[in-house]
Amino acid sequence: MFKLLKEKLSKTVSKISETIKKDVETSPEETKEKEDIKKGGIGTAGSDVLKKVKEKVTHKKLSEDKFDKLFQELEITLLENNVAFEVIEKIKDDLKQEILNQPLKRSQISKQIKETLENSIKDLFQEPENLIEKIKHKTEPFVIVFFGVNGVGKTSTIAKFVKLLQKNNLTSILAAADTFRAASQEQIEEWANKLEVPLVKGQYGSDPASVCFDAIQKAKSKNTNVVLIDTAGRMHSNTDLMDELRKIIKVSQPDEKIFVGESITGNDCIDQARLFNEAVDFNSMILTKTDIDEKGGAAISVSYITQKPIIYLTSGQLLDDIVKFDKEKITKTLFG
Amino acid sequence: MLEKLSTSLKGTLSKVAKSIFLDKNLIEELVKELQRSLLASDVNVSLVFELSEKIKTRALKEKPPKTVSPKEHIIKIVYEELVNLFGKKSYELKIEKKKPFKIMFVGLYGSGKTTSISKLANYYTKKNYKVATLGLDIHRPAAPEQLKQLSDQINIPSFISKEKDSIKIYKEFEKEFSQYDILLIDTAGRDALSDDLIKELSSLNKKIKPDETLLVMSADIGQTALEQAKKFHETCNVTGVIATKMDGTAKGGGALTGAAATKAPIKFIGTGEKINDLETFDPTGFVSRLLGMGDLKTLLEKVEDAMSEEEAKDLGKKFLKGDFNLLDLYEQMEAMSKMGPISKVTELIPGFSQLKLPKDVLQVQEGKLKKWKFILDSLTQEELENPEIITSSRIQRIASGSGTTTREIRELLKQYKQSKKVMKLMKGKEPNMEKLMKKFKGKLPKGFT
Repeated sequence: MFKLLKEKLSKTVSKISETIKKDVETSPEETKEKEDIKKGGIGTAGSDVLKKVKEKVTHKKLSEDKFDKLFQELEITLLENNVAFEVIEKIKDDLKQEILNQPLKRSQISKQIKETLENSIKDLFQEPENLIEKIKHKTEPFVIVFFGVNGVGKTSTIAKFVKLLQKNNLTSILAAADTFRAASQEQIEEWANKLEVPLVKGQYGSDPASVCFDAIQKAKSKNTNVVLIDTAGRMHSNTDLMDELRKIIKVSQPDEKIFVGESITGNDCIDQARLFNEAVDFNSMILTKTDIDEKGGAAISVSYITQKPIIYLTSGQLLDDIVKFDKEKITKTLFG
Repeated sequence: MLEKLSTSLKGTLSKVAKSIFLDKNLIEELVKELQRSLLASDVNVSLVFELSEKIKTRALKEKPPKTVSPKEHIIKIVYEELVNLFGKKSYELKIEKKKPFKIMFVGLYGSGKTTSISKLANYYTKKNYKVATLGLDIHRPAAPEQLKQLSDQINIPSFISKEKDSIKIYKEFEKEFSQYDILLIDTAGRDALSDDLIKELSSLNKKIKPDETLLVMSADIGQTALEQAKKFHETCNVTGVIATKMDGTAKGGGALTGAAATKAPIKFIGTGEKINDLETFDPTGFVSRLLGMGDLKTLLEKVEDAMSEEEAKDLGKKFLKGDFNLLDLYEQMEAMSKMGPISKVTELIPGFSQLKLPKDVLQVQEGKLKKWKFILDSLTQEELENPEIITSSRIQRIASGSGTTTREIRELLKQYKQSKKVMKLMKGKEPNMEKLMKKFKGKLPKGFT
């Protein structure tokens, strides 16, 4: 992830600064001033004038029009890398504020643009908390609910997370609260068997909240560290199903509510993350399928929209394919 | 965001429609708005620029025919070029007479392959084909069970196995396939750029030699759609695309990109989790949705499916005569419920999307409709035909019979009276839309009259 965006970004930034440089050199206003000085000769005030001219040539203010034109290139780069339209507008505003009406040092144009952009994007990512530590600090079972749109990879993500917990010597129990989709129960059962963790199943068509309740009771009686609740995929725009999710959350009183999203989602990731966040005010996000997407735009978009941290990235179908999301590292990879 | 964009696009289009001269600036403004809308709908970036360049050149160069005004001409160009993106091939999936006609489904994981297979199985079973499914997804846990459970729901056989080699599974059942008209084949979903999937898919493709290969793409997929679709196409020659999850807020620009990249038309769209949530593809409708404008054609198709022609004629006559009783309201509701949730039906009516009915209002309405059906089920034939005889003691009886409250029954009766008034207004002459809308207490959307 982010490899492509990185390449494109650095290309675009250097292209933009080149354009600005060229622009500075050919500005008729300055050439005229230069000539004026030649004609006027150098008197006592000469050194002052010279200084001013020097500043004029090396410092250049950008007009709004020109900025918009220059930004177009960057806009396309961001669009190609799957950053949502709305978020690009926000980045544009940030850059504009910083760069417009502020003299740019010619030698540092490229650096300045890069820095502003870097800050702009870094600001979008929230600092993730250490979930494993948080779990270790709780004596009662720690309850986590996973939710998201259909087919994003909730169940596989849960399996991967259980493996991670096992590596940290934490015990878990699974709640198969997807009582809707065909074979969802069998799917999570296969993972439970493979990972050798207990599973509380539900009847197809039954109330998912009751499955959660049972699992939590069982965890309490057996002193299990973590309860992981797998919910049915649901469209963020379906109010009935969002109500159902609210009920699951009301019954299970989770310590962590995790939104699972795909890194390959386009502009719709904004609506998905926003509506889930509005419905249940989640704590954090996990992005899946990062093996498919090399672009990384969705990570930028959902972070901006929800102001919530991404805690893990997952890829592939193997249990170990889960990595911590590192804000610093990713911004660094992006800007080198 | 999209709403804003489509509003500004509509604004520009109406500016074009109102202007006397079409100058270069206006054309450029239109092209730019169009670009923004398409990009926000996830259409591939280079595809968008290619398209807008084409529209611009055509609009500046081509002289409209004498009978067509310049503005009509440019709107036509925009539409034509957009529809062109879908390819000019037939959008229908023709089932040839051979046993079996093999349709293979490929796609990324989680895009909805297995669900789409069950929908298509249901679609063709209803058309009296003998259909079977074959589960070759050997990787995802419980994938074969999912296919089996879904096939069982519609009473068709499914061939699944615990075997971990997809070619072996195919060989195991191969002899039995000739009993069926159509065989729907589920494959493993994965990243198309991963080598092992490509190996597996291309060897499957060689062995199976499918008659159709459908690429299943989620409506919300972003800019990665292009390379993925290309790679799938290289590996197993995609002949059609299914765009899934079209019931959400995503616009399907990625699926469109996939269709353009494979030169294979979109053939079906998935619009929900239920087995009936499948529509045949209609390019003009899709363009309308992409740009946030309603489409009448798809709606008409739905009505046709749900109501037999005769029923519709009969109901239409009654509408016009103004005798409309609760029985008709009941039939109407039944037909509506066959068409799918109200929220979806209204979305398809031009103008309705502009009325901006909040989604929960529609869903509340849906819940009400269900209750009304219970109420109507508790009425006697006499009461249905002649609702005027329903007195308060009858209302009491109906309430306890249907498990509802008297208030709800009165509400239903009120609705019936209102509908009847509307029907009377429509009687005979051309309906006066303005008057009608006032009756509905709604506002006419701009540009509706």
